[in-house]
Amino acid sequence: MSTLAPLVLPPKPRGRWKPWLGLAVVLLITAVTLSPQWGIAFSFEAIVKNWQNGADKVLALLQPDWSFFPRTIPPLVETLQMAVIATFVGAVVSLPLSLWAARLTNPNRYTRGLLKTVLNAVRSIPDLLYASVLVAMVGVGALPGIIALVLFNVGIIVKMVSESIEVNDAGPLEAGRAAGGTQLQINRAIALTDAWPAFVNQTLYVLELNVRASTVLGLVGAGGLGLLIDAVRTFYRYDQLSLIILEILVVVVVIDTVSASIRKRLV
Amino acid sequence: MTDLHDSAAAWVHPPAAAPWSIRMRDVSVRYPNGVVALKNVSLDIEAGEMVSVVGLSGSGKSSLIRTINGLVPISSGTLEVGGRHLETARGRELRQLRGEIGMIFQGFNLARRASVLNNVLVGRLAHTPTWRTLLGLYRADDKQIAYEALNSVGILAKAYDRASTLSGGQQQRVAIARALAQQPKLVLADEPVASLDPPTAHGVMRDLRRINQDLGITVLTNLHLLDLARTYGTRLIGLRAGEVVYDGPAATASDAVFETIYGRSIQHEDVLG
Repeated sequence: MSTLAPLVLPPKPRGRWKPWLGLAVVLLITAVTLSPQWGIAFSFEAIVKNWQNGADKVLALLQPDWSFFPRTIPPLVETLQMAVIATFVGAVVSLPLSLWAARLTNPNRYTRGLLKTVLNAVRSIPDLLYASVLVAMVGVGALPGIIALVLFNVGIIVKMVSESIEVNDAGPLEAGRAAGGTQLQINRAIALTDAWPAFVNQTLYVLELNVRASTVLGLVGAGGLGLLIDAVRTFYRYDQLSLIILEILVVVVVIDTVSASIRKRLV
Repeated sequence: MTDLHDSAAAWVHPPAAAPWSIRMRDVSVRYPNGVVALKNVSLDIEAGEMVSVVGLSGSGKSSLIRTINGLVPISSGTLEVGGRHLETARGRELRQLRGEIGMIFQGFNLARRASVLNNVLVGRLAHTPTWRTLLGLYRADDKQIAYEALNSVGILAKAYDRASTLSGGQQQRVAIARALAQQPKLVLADEPVASLDPPTAHGVMRDLRRINQDLGITVLTNLHLLDLARTYGTRLIGLRAGEVVYDGPAATASDAVFETIYGRSIQHEDVLG
């Protein structure tokens, strides 16, 4: 080996300082937002000063008012109904849009770009804002909540599923093209089966999100548990609030468990 | 894998009504990144020929085979397939042409989560209205064609299995069945055995030879192994750096011929055994 010429290493890849620059930028932004002049007024002082106040509330929260339980059932059921309906409608709308938004299943860069722009706009608006605007448009109740959740769901599902389609193997789609299929036929016969696990996965995830989100949508009048939360909060009934929180916790845990077991069977 | 199905009786398809010829004149392919894959290639392939295309990776043999069904657009020159101009075909016309040309890939290219049957039915897409595909309602006679195609490669029993559960050799046979379900006039195979072990590779090559001999279909196969090219092809086309450097009978192509094509001496890896 020693007789060989010294190793000629290839030139080192350029731009290795880039991650360090990125880290520096993140640290700088954090420092600026914490600083008193430009940043938000963040201090530990307030926490210490109001400690006694907070402790009282925590104590009340630790003693749920069980007798309140029957009154929570109808709004809880409404919340679940909103979540399920919104998930179903959102999923049905999202499936074709997901195929439309992915490069592999829609080679037309212009229609794809248009859809992605619209979806970015849809996603940039928080669900609570949708709900408060929709309450003004269609009135108080479950309907504005459901519409708000559908918009929120389509934004998430289409983004996640179309991104998962992008990383799928392009080979099977090429085989469909070689056999003379149209893009729509190829998407249905080949891309859909490969995208299915990602789609079901995201739909289940969105169901979980919806159960959580639909509990607060009522704060702006969009139906479900939120209306009740708003009421008990206004009267400082933290014992009743804690019962509601417990119920949400149980529901979320149950849905998590069920969807996890479905996912396991899926792949 | 058994080769019990290797009898002519297993073929239910009628021989191709009129297999297609290929006429290439001064065909060049330049990719958007500037790479020139084919340089002024002119070839005449007669209907019913069994052609092996050999060359090292990067020689342009994959580009050559992909221009023939329009998966790779040609930059200049003319290309007639079955008497029809492919270089100007667009939209429906191109899809109809592709529908007559079966293609087999190195990586099988099956929809892994779909059933074997649904993968074979992809071969019927060009003959199926879009609404039927969208609803998943294939015609009974299309399904019959798919079953017969699967039977002819000996894996009808796997029709309802998920494609990903099959072995590599079985998956390639599903891909061959998919091509057969097109009732093709021409079959292109791009390194069909490069992902398979030697015995399985010979099985797949025998299937391709039977497609040529029993059904009379023109078959073009890309290979990089010289013994497979010699054994299974009747004509050999050698490509090097995008140009045809050999065109002649396969059986008599000597090692010296392969050394010309490869631009180096023959090595152990160039033979499957």
